[in-house]
Amino acid sequence: MAHTAPPTPPPFPAATGTTRRNVLLASLAGFSTLAAACSAPGAASEGGGSEGAGTLVIGMTASDIPLLDTGMAQNEGYEGLRFVANQLYDGLTRFDLTDGSVIPPVVPGLAESWEPNETGDSWTFTLRQGVSFHDGTPWNADAAVFNLRRYTDPSFEFFYQELNGQAGLSIAGIAAATAVDEHTLRIDCAGPWAYLPSDLTTVYMGSPTAIQEAGNDGFGQEPVGTGPFTFVSVERGQSLQLAANADYWGGAPVVDTLILRPIPDTTTRVAALRSGEVNWIEVPPPDDVPSLEQAGFQVETNSYDHVWPWCFDTTQAPWNDVRVRQAANYAINRQSLCDNVLQGTAEPALQVCPKANAAYRAENDLYGYDPDRARQLLADAGYVGGVTATLSYPTSGSGNMIPGPMNEALQRDLAAVGIDVELQPIEWASMLTDYFVGNIPGGASAINISLSFQQEGFWNNWLGTGVTNVTGWHDPQVEALFQQAKETLDEAGRSDLYAQASAIITEQAPWLFVVNDRNPRVLAANVQGFVEPQSWFVDVTDVSVE
Amino acid sequence: MTKFLVRRLLLSVPILLGVSLVVFITIKIIPGDPVASMLGPTSTPEAREALTARLGLDQPLPVQYLSWLAAMFQGDLGQSIAQQRPVLGLVADAFVNTLWLTAFSAVLAVVLGLVLGAVAALRRGRVAATVSNALALFSISTPQYTIGLLLIIVLANGTGWFPVSGMYSAIGGGTWGDLLWHLVLPGITAALVPAGIIARMFRSTVLDVMSMDFIDSYRARGLSERRILWHAFHNTTPTLLTVAGLQVGYLLGGVVFVETVFSWPGLGQLVFDSISKRDLAVIQSGVMVAAFAFVLINVVVDLLHSLIDPRVRA
Repeated sequence: MAHTAPPTPPPFPAATGTTRRNVLLASLAGFSTLAAACSAPGAASEGGGSEGAGTLVIGMTASDIPLLDTGMAQNEGYEGLRFVANQLYDGLTRFDLTDGSVIPPVVPGLAESWEPNETGDSWTFTLRQGVSFHDGTPWNADAAVFNLRRYTDPSFEFFYQELNGQAGLSIAGIAAATAVDEHTLRIDCAGPWAYLPSDLTTVYMGSPTAIQEAGNDGFGQEPVGTGPFTFVSVERGQSLQLAANADYWGGAPVVDTLILRPIPDTTTRVAALRSGEVNWIEVPPPDDVPSLEQAGFQVETNSYDHVWPWCFDTTQAPWNDVRVRQAANYAINRQSLCDNVLQGTAEPALQVCPKANAAYRAENDLYGYDPDRARQLLADAGYVGGVTATLSYPTSGSGNMIPGPMNEALQRDLAAVGIDVELQPIEWASMLTDYFVGNIPGGASAINISLSFQQEGFWNNWLGTGVTNVTGWHDPQVEALFQQAKETLDEAGRSDLYAQASAIITEQAPWLFVVNDRNPRVLAANVQGFVEPQSWFVDVTDVSVE
Repeated sequence: MTKFLVRRLLLSVPILLGVSLVVFITIKIIPGDPVASMLGPTSTPEAREALTARLGLDQPLPVQYLSWLAAMFQGDLGQSIAQQRPVLGLVADAFVNTLWLTAFSAVLAVVLGLVLGAVAALRRGRVAATVSNALALFSISTPQYTIGLLLIIVLANGTGWFPVSGMYSAIGGGTWGDLLWHLVLPGITAALVPAGIIARMFRSTVLDVMSMDFIDSYRARGLSERRILWHAFHNTTPTLLTVAGLQVGYLLGGVVFVETVFSWPGLGQLVFDSISKRDLAVIQSGVMVAAFAFVLINVVVDLLHSLIDPRVRA
């Protein structure tokens, strides 16, 4: 990597003992030389190893480079797992993201196969053989136990509290991990845990040798995993450079170099794509989508497990009456929202379960646009003069789409049937603080926040006994179905249980079901071979840049 | 002179302590929790509680502040919760990046301000002066955010002459030329407001000086107009220095919007990002570095001032 040598800065002019004219000049020149005298540009670690051939440059929505230590990448939301953790590391299991027409199945990752015991509270994994970490050390059961204890075991020397917190639901089922032999691992669960393999897709394995050498604090500076890409360099706030792992067990990536750039401002992100500085961006502003398509860019969308609802506080008026909740669900024109505000980057949500979830059943779709029915339901509920409510919504945040324009459109639709909603915007970090303890900020009677059921534990979190069920709506039958699912090892059987729960939830409407995001991203014309999967995650190993 | 310098620098200590206290109280008053922000909506309450305890965030507020202060006096700025790295390195890197942008903008602002101000003062009543005045007013009153986006749309997107964002090109970047190329648009954006203010101040100062008696006496003695202008300019330097110094100081702390729009990895962007993550240690150090730089620049301006104008020394 060649860099031109920094020019030698002129000596800072000495002020004392010079003529007044020199002082004057010095004062003007001083500011310009001050910085030059301080240091040379700090970009020595940046720049491509290759000169653009086979280099994929992705503009992310994240405000900074996610943390590079295994699951810590979630500090920038799921985007961190999508682009950093899934490229540097593997889990025991992973999603097959190569077919956009199906919901991604869980397939072998660092484990080749797995088997639960009869009760589903203990799982045995046969590990993939012949896999090495990027530092050449072998992947085996000891490495797996090391990593799982680092995630979960407070008595372990390398236990990492931050990682434990970050992993959240992914590790909720893990009680203990044991190496049965060199290539066999057993995980014991806190109870029956039928969806452990799915949870483990986001539990990432780092090199124990590298972790021991660098410690928990240092491993993120020089991360070592088994993933399709290896770490090259990082410039905080600027870019992360990764190189293809030629020895990847799943086959080497097509591109040589993957560069990730955090560009949180949407306008800047689109501009970076148009000018060719990046050849892939996440989440374009919907209004730019038509012109980007016209300009020859590839706009990729697909359903995935995402829902953008309002969660009603069902413990207080007006939402304590199911008819008012249903009225609201009939009052909004979802199709118009998708077509006009979101330019086709989302699809109407007519029930609680997203289309890209195995529990989706078309017969559970309930709510169409029917303002007359909404008015009738309100009248039945005794609200002749209309009702008032307040909504707390975030101004930004991962997966929240464009909350301002969307909520204003909904406000207009609801006002048309007599539901008068006051909008209360709130900063994302402030909202989460309340949300985590089960509160809706500012005493509002509803909250808008984007949610997903990708991890099956989320069902209970949002709509069961979880603290973050802010609706105050509890249905014993639904909660029993969630518990039963946890114990049902058969996947199809489990999705039937969630479908049953969905039917009840949709009919009882503790939420305003609004839209499912379609995960828009835009690729330059020369980026080939990408499949937009029905998932938060993406597979970039087959992508080429011509 | 040394005494003056030492006194001024010592005076900055209570200022900085005050700044740190205000930042601490502000961050603690506004809702939002760094642990919640970091762990995201899928973390369990138990994990959040354990991490809060490990980071000492469950301690009483005075204890938290004092232990931060004690560590700082031992040279330990703490650990960034969000970035899992020592604050010192983060802030130092970001500050250097901000210095580049500030230095570039300062030069632009001073040159542009002087030219516009001089034209407005010396060509009074003519078209050139009207245009200069209009430009100065425009640059003061147009929000940086708007200017930045306009420049991106026209000069980066439309023509492709300049890069859209960042400090170096992702591919083959890292050279001095690359840095300069990336500096142009954010530099102009940041320079406009101070340039306008310097222009307005310089214009009125030049007009003041030109109406003074000594100018008439020079004219009476038959000095050339060029010599007279030189003397007039000389007499404007104290005001100019003060205004320019203040403006550069503001630039250091005020390039937040510019850094955000252009994804410039400087102090402003770091602090902005850290506020949304409630990363107190980084906010504290970032704001204090900006405040200290502001104080320092003003001390330097005062020093230069006293060198130029003997009356100040008296």
